[in-house]
Amino acid sequence: MTLALNLDRKAAAAAVVHSHGVPHRRIEEWKYSDLKSALGDQGLGAVTAEWLVGNLPSGVEMFDLAWPNPPAWVMNHFARPTQNVMRAASLALSAGGVALRVPAGAQIADVLKLDFNGPGHVRGLLVLEEGASLTLAEGVGVADFRNVGFEIVLGEGAALEHVRISPEAGDAVLVEEVLLHLAARAHYRGHFAGFGSKLSRMELEVSLEGEGAQAHLSGVSVLDGKRHSDVTTHVIHRVVNTNSTQLFKHVAGGSARAVYQGKVTVAKGADGSDSSQTAKALLLGEAAEADLKPELEIFADDVKCAHGAAVGDLDAESLFYLRARGIPESQARGLLLQAFLEDAVAEIVHTDQRELVRTELLTALKAVA
Amino acid sequence: MSIAAETKSQVAELGEKYKYGFVTDIEMERAPKGLSEDTVRYISAKKGEPDWMLEWRLGAFKRWQAMTEPKWARVHYPKIDYQNAYYYAAPKNTPKKQSLDEVDPKLLETYKKLGIPLHEQMALAGVAVDAVFDSVSVATTFKEKLNEAGVIFCPISEAIRDYPDLVKKYLGTVVPVTDNYFATLNSAVFSDGTFVYVPKGVRCPMELSTYFRINASETGQFERTLIIADEDSYVSYLEGCTAPKRDENQLHAAVVELIALDNAEIKYSTVQNWYPGDENGLGGIFNFVTKRGDCRGKKSKISWTQVETGSAITWKYPSCILRGDESVGEFYSIAIANHYQQADTGTKMIHLGANTRSRIISKGISAGKAQNTYRGLVSVYGKAKNARNYTQCDSLLIGGDCGAHTVPYIESRNKTARIEHEATTSKIAEDQLFYCLARGIPQDEAVSLIVNGFCREVLQQLPMEFAVEAQKLVGISLEGSVG
Repeated sequence: MTLALNLDRKAAAAAVVHSHGVPHRRIEEWKYSDLKSALGDQGLGAVTAEWLVGNLPSGVEMFDLAWPNPPAWVMNHFARPTQNVMRAASLALSAGGVALRVPAGAQIADVLKLDFNGPGHVRGLLVLEEGASLTLAEGVGVADFRNVGFEIVLGEGAALEHVRISPEAGDAVLVEEVLLHLAARAHYRGHFAGFGSKLSRMELEVSLEGEGAQAHLSGVSVLDGKRHSDVTTHVIHRVVNTNSTQLFKHVAGGSARAVYQGKVTVAKGADGSDSSQTAKALLLGEAAEADLKPELEIFADDVKCAHGAAVGDLDAESLFYLRARGIPESQARGLLLQAFLEDAVAEIVHTDQRELVRTELLTALKAVA
Repeated sequence: MSIAAETKSQVAELGEKYKYGFVTDIEMERAPKGLSEDTVRYISAKKGEPDWMLEWRLGAFKRWQAMTEPKWARVHYPKIDYQNAYYYAAPKNTPKKQSLDEVDPKLLETYKKLGIPLHEQMALAGVAVDAVFDSVSVATTFKEKLNEAGVIFCPISEAIRDYPDLVKKYLGTVVPVTDNYFATLNSAVFSDGTFVYVPKGVRCPMELSTYFRINASETGQFERTLIIADEDSYVSYLEGCTAPKRDENQLHAAVVELIALDNAEIKYSTVQNWYPGDENGLGGIFNFVTKRGDCRGKKSKISWTQVETGSAITWKYPSCILRGDESVGEFYSIAIANHYQQADTGTKMIHLGANTRSRIISKGISAGKAQNTYRGLVSVYGKAKNARNYTQCDSLLIGGDCGAHTVPYIESRNKTARIEHEATTSKIAEDQLFYCLARGIPQDEAVSLIVNGFCREVLQQLPMEFAVEAQKLVGISLEGSVG
């Protein structure tokens, strides 16, 4: 990226931030997550947050976005213009981040570990070229306020499994926007496990741009006390014969708030789109709240789109069944909660990552139940 | 004649034209063009209203001036020039009528074309019709029978005069004056509408029905409906709308308020086929309606059923506030958008009381270049123990140039509440279409059959008189959408 181009993109992003300001609950997309009030007087700031690549598997190329003279693959994909105010802020208000690339055809067996840490704004870029494959484990460090803008580009036939675990983070305000571009036959699996914080928002925008592209999103959240967790997704079927699934499960105890806002758009002419969307929440706390908004926006007729959402308590009959077989109530409840979350966890293909999420869930469930 | 065959003959008769697109040539008396405090005073004076009503209107008008038009709905329309319309239009010379014979025969003729001959209805259908012709109610039937039961069913202007205490007590308590832009406008300039009061323990002896009709060119229609079902009472109310054909867009901003006290039940059914505009999106009614029911009493029930086939723009969310414990809210909807129509409609179920239940069944059909949106909210508050909601919203797409959208909000703040939501979107099934065609059923008729099947759950909720008309409308609205 030439310096001028970089400056242009930054200036455009700054203009977006300037015209929109910090999102608050009167902005429809932020209705359930009032960022402005969570941040209070501190505002967005202009600090650059940290990133850390735990282990760089051989075959993966890395570039520090703070360095000069970025290579062509960074120039081609980094910081596409956006109207998303927080994504724009992550560019306008930071001076760095990390870019990673898996070259065409490379099948990376080792898990790539990437952590974002500290306060401020930071950018990430991950490019999988044609036919490449990778498993990415994203870690989330605790900080007062952090905003991550992450772009992921999958070339034709590329495959990525992305597992993000966001630990319980007390009073932290953590926002992340992941933007994905999928070429033909590219395959994305993303799993998002969240344990909440004062305000915690994971925003995913998935653009299916080539025939045969597939995105499978899943996630679990277990929230206690006053924790908040917001998963906001937007999957856009831009071309014919693309497929997406979403499965999100939330458990909210105490006075926690679990939010799921999912939007599926099928563009005009994107016939053969197949999409399903399920969001379920269990409320355990007297003052807990679940807000679900599964949205469909469809401009083509030859499509199959469905969504389902449910909020409730543990099923009394199932509980009775277990108790009748001599299982103590607390244990029975624990089992049912595990079962409730399990089908979303089972979406994770990578065995070690799946076990990791399970372990975290067990610990969190004990605290809530 | 079978319904399908009748549909076909009606379509043929239409020749792609809107059946109700005729204009009755009656001299109209109008308020001066434009909207100002004077317009509000003019309307109030014309209606011979008491001071408190005028004050209420002026208060609303003042609030409205400070408000801005909402932009969140998925509808696009040219900016409405509120100064370029008439806010009051009444057929001239309307002294009180003692019987139907005194009514201008031209008016009666109009209703005949609409298919609601008052005489016949009095004799045959057993339906009392309070017909609103533009802004003034001209004929009320079956009043005596209702009087016997103690049911008040009259134009709201009459109620303001004769039952001011009832009106004062309930008007604006469900839809506050400042509720939203269009409701506030309505509060300032509403010209007439219907008032119903069903006293304690009375089961209204017949279905009440009103046909609304916009007639004069460039006039907005601002009705105000207020229905109160006192303890242990029941009432079923039917509302039907047709409007003549016009090229410019006309504004319709109505407000409907329902109040159900302990153990009372209100069933409100609408068939809306205002002029939708022509095949090129020219003309048509802008329909911005605020409808809300308040289940104020224990075990009360409010049920909305709507068949929305008309209007160029529909902006309408009949809602229920489930305040009383064990109260029930229902919303059954069919929304059909063809050509360039845009519909953004749905409901809100606000669960406040314990053991409240609600059910939403919405069927959206899009064809041509139309956009159809379901927008709904199910909100359970902290005290709504054991609240239940079931929502099903299905969309059917006919052709690749239209859009079907679903925007449901689900909010639960009580752990004992149970909310379920399901939605599907699909196109008209080719195998079903093929099956019909292979058996010699013409395409349009086949589409009508399949769509009627898709809507069955909602059509079943309609009172008999409306169900037949609604089925026909479904066919007519989708004429020419496949092929």
